[in-house]
Amino acid sequence: MRITTTRSAQRRLGRMLIALLAVFALIAAACGSDDDGDGAAPATTAAADSGGDGDDMADDDDGMAGDDGDGMADDDDGHDQDDDDGDGMADDDMAAGPDACNGGANVGGTLIIGSTQVPRHLNGTVQSGYATAVPGTQLNASPLLYDDEYNPMPYLAESWDVADDGLSVTLHLVEDAVFHDGMPITSADVAFSIQTVQANHPFKPMYAPVTSVDTPDEHTAVINLSQPHPAILLAMSPGLLPIIPKHIFDDGQDMPTHPRNTENFVGSGPFRLAEYEPGTIIRMERFDDFFIEGTPCLDEIVMEITPDSTAIVLSLENGTTHLSSTLGPAANVLRLMDNPDVEVTSQGHEAIGQINWLEFNLADPALSDVRVRQAIGYAIDRQFLSEVIEQGLTFPVPTGIAAASPFHNADVNHYDKDIDRAKQLLAEAGYGEGELELTIDYIPPAFVVHAEYVVQALEEAGINVELSVSPDFPTWAQRVSGGDYQMTINQVWNWGDPVIGVHRTYLCDNRVGVIWTNNTGYCNPDVDALLAAAGQELDPVARAGLYAEFQEIVADEVPIFFLNTPSFWQAYNPSVMNPPTNNIWGQMSPMHQVWLDE
Amino acid sequence: MSDAMGRGEMAAADLPVAPGPVAGDEGGSGGPGQQNAGAVRPGRETLRLFMRNKAAVAGVVMLVGIIFMTVAGPRIYDNDPKDIVAIPLTGPGELEEARLGTDYLGRDVLAGVIGGGTTSLTVAAMAAAMVLVIGISIGALAGYYGGWLDSALMRFTEFFQVLPALLFAMVLVALFEPSMWTISFAIGVVAWPGIARITRAEFLRLRNLEFVRAARAVGATDWRIIRKVVFPNALPPLIVSATLIMGTAILFEAGLAFLGLGDPNTTSWGLMIGLNRGNFLTAWWSVTFPGLAIFFTVLSFSLIGDGLQDAYNPKLRGR
Repeated sequence: MRITTTRSAQRRLGRMLIALLAVFALIAAACGSDDDGDGAAPATTAAADSGGDGDDMADDDDGMAGDDGDGMADDDDGHDQDDDDGDGMADDDMAAGPDACNGGANVGGTLIIGSTQVPRHLNGTVQSGYATAVPGTQLNASPLLYDDEYNPMPYLAESWDVADDGLSVTLHLVEDAVFHDGMPITSADVAFSIQTVQANHPFKPMYAPVTSVDTPDEHTAVINLSQPHPAILLAMSPGLLPIIPKHIFDDGQDMPTHPRNTENFVGSGPFRLAEYEPGTIIRMERFDDFFIEGTPCLDEIVMEITPDSTAIVLSLENGTTHLSSTLGPAANVLRLMDNPDVEVTSQGHEAIGQINWLEFNLADPALSDVRVRQAIGYAIDRQFLSEVIEQGLTFPVPTGIAAASPFHNADVNHYDKDIDRAKQLLAEAGYGEGELELTIDYIPPAFVVHAEYVVQALEEAGINVELSVSPDFPTWAQRVSGGDYQMTINQVWNWGDPVIGVHRTYLCDNRVGVIWTNNTGYCNPDVDALLAAAGQELDPVARAGLYAEFQEIVADEVPIFFLNTPSFWQAYNPSVMNPPTNNIWGQMSPMHQVWLDE
Repeated sequence: MSDAMGRGEMAAADLPVAPGPVAGDEGGSGGPGQQNAGAVRPGRETLRLFMRNKAAVAGVVMLVGIIFMTVAGPRIYDNDPKDIVAIPLTGPGELEEARLGTDYLGRDVLAGVIGGGTTSLTVAAMAAAMVLVIGISIGALAGYYGGWLDSALMRFTEFFQVLPALLFAMVLVALFEPSMWTISFAIGVVAWPGIARITRAEFLRLRNLEFVRAARAVGATDWRIIRKVVFPNALPPLIVSATLIMGTAILFEAGLAFLGLGDPNTTSWGLMIGLNRGNFLTAWWSVTFPGLAIFFTVLSFSLIGDGLQDAYNPKLRGR
């Protein structure tokens, strides 16, 4: 008896300790992270995280256009915002004039970037996503830069010509550019980089029409195309075509797993890799022989990686982090906006074009009826979702091409909230009050807010909706890509050109069972024809017309109900001058002109 | 020998020729030959000791309050915890329709705390019931029969005991759709080994005592002896553990929901904390109130368990 008593007393003590610990852990966790990431267990990624920042997308390589290449085949291509041959734009903005780094007065300093994004490696020719692109664009230069209005600007290419028939692009490279190991950057490296991207990058349509790259001399590269491909210039953006050294990488090894993607990294960009601890820190030092005179201004860029966006917010507030775009939920952004010591802006990153939408499985008997889908559209109040629930940090969007894109068509059916209309459409489709029951999935951590709102909104129209939760991202992706769902909240990125980020969702033959391809089962030959034509149209006005018509059809047939576009928020310390807010790629662009006023 | 145990033992010892069943029967407790306490019934004595423990009484009061809140609350305060009632993230006290403020979707936190209690307590009760059924069955069989059956069942128990409980529960919930049933099931499956081992220990201790042997001698079947003779005498430590299991189950449910493995269609305290924690810096109320609810519920179960433990402890008797 005595023994029993002691033992159960111990047990009781132990239990109480565990209980207390668990309570403390709960409280501590509540204070801290909004992203359990790699902590205790893989499944903790399912931790609810209201309104994240699209982390899922950003560092996911098989994500985004991922693997959709097969489906997209070669029938598409991109756009050319500034149509003409863009010739002779050499040396205006981007080349450092006498004004660079505050007239040379402010050279030096260390810029600290906070990020939750863990890159797989640093070689952007084979790895898509934000996590790789931010450090990758500091370490490697690309042929072109972009300003904040989709205009290409010279970078490694001091000028370029697009042939009149659109079937070739000639790049004229700067002559004195060298890699971090001192070897010159030549047209052979450009050709090698393009071929590497073509063979390995998940965004297959970017370079699918490229047939060959000629190198008539060391500083001239001619890209030959099988068809007009207006997206080709955007595809030479910093994040999409880093120029990598052929003499290092052309050794027959598998590119995605090449050791030099992280070790002894030799790049072409304004900063060279000094220290790399996966998932912890990326330290990049000024490259003194960078080809743009007088830059970079900074001595160092240090990326501090933490899974916890709350920690980033706090370190922005106390000034130990200079710059971040992974700020976590809306409340964090609003909190930073109230802080006079931190600048918050949605400028920059326009090309990403994130769109949150409600996607229907058209194979479902109820949802195959267009009237049901339209009724759902009339029941949802985008304005309320964006302005009240998301507190103005997102803005409503009625179509699948983001509002910042030159191809956005706002003049489509907006489905302004109209409950009577919704009920009438449901009645026509044969569903009375409360007779239609549906389920809604969502990308686990971040999108529960949108799903919960849709449940409430549809309840008002007499549709009963249950949340269907997936424990983690891969489970959700598998269910949605496998057609095992009725409705889901999704977020898909435009990636600058519709050819890269938009076509994949609608083409009949892109239903390939991979997430972020055609997951709805939508198929309209007219839409396919419009997209095919738009992908080859070199005249931007005509191209915009084709996309406008495409957007009208999609709005009427509602295979997807578009909700809103989250702004891509950046917060930075006021001492950061020339912050990456002045270009469509934001931090996925070199920061050689950023300087610190401290 | 303890009073709690003594009851059956005395009865059996005094009635060697009486029919076995009398041994542990309710009727037996008042039987002749009591050495101690004369007419004082052990149950009443336990209650007296329990009532003397102020912390335990506070636990009971707290628990009754919480149960009243979850049962009667929705009738008095009829906001649906899932409805959007006001501007999101409004602080407590600012609105008539949401006294404790609103969460990120504009739902009423007070309604959530009231409504979430039903889920948390139901899941805890179902899980505890499951733990008791599995744990007592396995522990009783192992302890009573011993031998190879004991070894086999205890190895089986250890298999469950060495798995990290929360991780195992997460795996189970992830395998099925998260719902109140699967969550209760998962908690039940991971939490029973403790009860099984306590039951086994009690049965091992009791099975060879005289009154049990007496019952066997008069021809009672094993099933009858387990049920009527041994089990009632093994109850006190089990009752204590069961109360603690309730607290553990609530924490488990909260932990699972917090990690995003709760049933998203049913408001629970853990789910509220999990969903709102991203807004903790700006909207403390959306996590603090459900957190306090969990805290007080678990605390009340712990206090009650503690009090029962002391009340059943013979060493404290007569003080």
